[in-house]
Amino acid sequence: MSDIIRTEGLGKYFGEMAAVHEVTLGLKEGLFTSIIGPNGAGKTTLINLLSGYLLPDRGRIFFRGTEVTRMRPDKRVKIGISRSFQVMNIFPRLTVFENILLPVLSRLNKNSRPLASVRSQKEAVAEAEKTLQEVWLQEEKNSPAGKLSHGDQRLLELGIAVASNPQLCFLDEPSSGMNPIERVKVLELVKKLSAERKTTFAIVEHDMDVVFSLSDWIVVMNRGEIMAEGKPDEIRDNKEVRDIYLGEEI
Amino acid sequence: MKKTLAIGGLVVFLAILPHFAGQYILYMTIHIMLLSLFSLGFNLLFGYTGLLSFGQAGFYAAGAYGCGKILLAFPSLLAGIIGGVAVAGVASFLLGILCIRHTRIYFSMLTLSFGMMIFSLAWKWRDMTGGDDGLVGIPRAPLEIPGLLRLNMAPMENYYYVVLGFSLLAIYLFHRLVHSPMGLTLQGIRDSETRTACVGISVRNYRLISFTIAGMYAGLAGALLPPLESTVTPPLAHWSYSAEPVLATLLGGIYTFAGPIVGAFLFYILKDIIVRFTQYWLICLGVIVVVLVLGFRGGVMSIFSGKGGQE
Repeated sequence: MSDIIRTEGLGKYFGEMAAVHEVTLGLKEGLFTSIIGPNGAGKTTLINLLSGYLLPDRGRIFFRGTEVTRMRPDKRVKIGISRSFQVMNIFPRLTVFENILLPVLSRLNKNSRPLASVRSQKEAVAEAEKTLQEVWLQEEKNSPAGKLSHGDQRLLELGIAVASNPQLCFLDEPSSGMNPIERVKVLELVKKLSAERKTTFAIVEHDMDVVFSLSDWIVVMNRGEIMAEGKPDEIRDNKEVRDIYLGEEI
Repeated sequence: MKKTLAIGGLVVFLAILPHFAGQYILYMTIHIMLLSLFSLGFNLLFGYTGLLSFGQAGFYAAGAYGCGKILLAFPSLLAGIIGGVAVAGVASFLLGILCIRHTRIYFSMLTLSFGMMIFSLAWKWRDMTGGDDGLVGIPRAPLEIPGLLRLNMAPMENYYYVVLGFSLLAIYLFHRLVHSPMGLTLQGIRDSETRTACVGISVRNYRLISFTIAGMYAGLAGALLPPLESTVTPPLAHWSYSAEPVLATLLGGIYTFAGPIVGAFLFYILKDIIVRFTQYWLICLGVIVVVLVLGFRGGVMSIFSGKGGQE
């Protein structure tokens, strides 16, 4: 199985603090990967670097063998890398439908049309409708996104991330703020989307029950570095990981 | 249906206005249409793209000077207006490249600075702009399409129809634009730049497009002014003139298509009423805007849409 994305000696430093330090990592195509670790471990910074939201101070990033280290985030989306954010990041004044339509229009290169009507973009509209159904938001279609409940906004963010039909999608705490039942449902939805859309997902998540039950591969970070990686059983049995992060709960 | 009827009724009213209204009403209506165009362009940046510009008067003046210079050299109304819009478009594109690299207060300060640079240029470059005297004696040249059409613009009524025609066309194109995929993209940028970039859209490119179109709308409004007033002077580029579309848009409503048009109408009506009682009309208008912003953040249009105070 080949690496869909790979890093070599990746580093990001904020003054004296190493948010990400010497990270050499490969994410396997088709595997559902979870990135875990204590707060401040560098998980979000790593996703920010891989998605182009931040530029690294050191190291290189390759997507399907092509270097993308200094590539802008919008260009990375065009080649198949998408993401969601830890802090809710949707288009609050647009309707739920428009939130999904925008990335679809962008993927189809139809968002630069200045005089065509939005509704006349039949292909994009049909795709957006389909994505809305996939993330269970069909009934909220015409609601302003900012008025949705927290759980629905999280679903919408997931919908925005997959609407660009990415090959690789990073989800930063996709179920944060949800109750345990909602959390399981959302993460099972992610797994389902992964299978149906043939998208490789890499998620940051704090619910260890969910992580260990859904993940094919787990990467553990601590203090900006990769501490361990492997299959769920291997991570569960790793003494160092248990001591620093998991404790005895797993 | 109600909306279509209201718009149709308004267009018919404007079309027959010269048949029963005097010169002053026509003159006022032309100014309302010019401020509407100016404010629509401003609101493309502010309400639709989330960029607050304090320098739009610079492009308004660029359009006015461009048109004035052409009319003084070559008496063709169409050439003057198109030339004025082109000058403003080029100016806004070039300055936009520098301005759109920043957002929020930094963007606003840059636009203010560049607007004032255009003001200084208009004031100091006497050979080109006439300095503090401005350009004077600008003719209201005939509207001429060689071999097809030649209309005398000397009567105010005729020029009124030209302004009305350009305004309706520009408002129609604006409506198409904001309801198009590009309009949706601009609104996405307004709501969240980071999210927009992370759905594969180059935020800078679209900000530049928005800035240039806004400049061209300001330029169109400016280009329609010299044939009316016969003169163009540097205060048109002053930052205080940039406040007019800001006030009109706040009055009418930021997040509605018609807000700036309604705001431009209210701006002139309020000004016309208040100025009869005091020369400090701007203070009174300021109080009204403050009350509206505090009570109806979506402007007057939010009252009709039932969203008063919620915007």
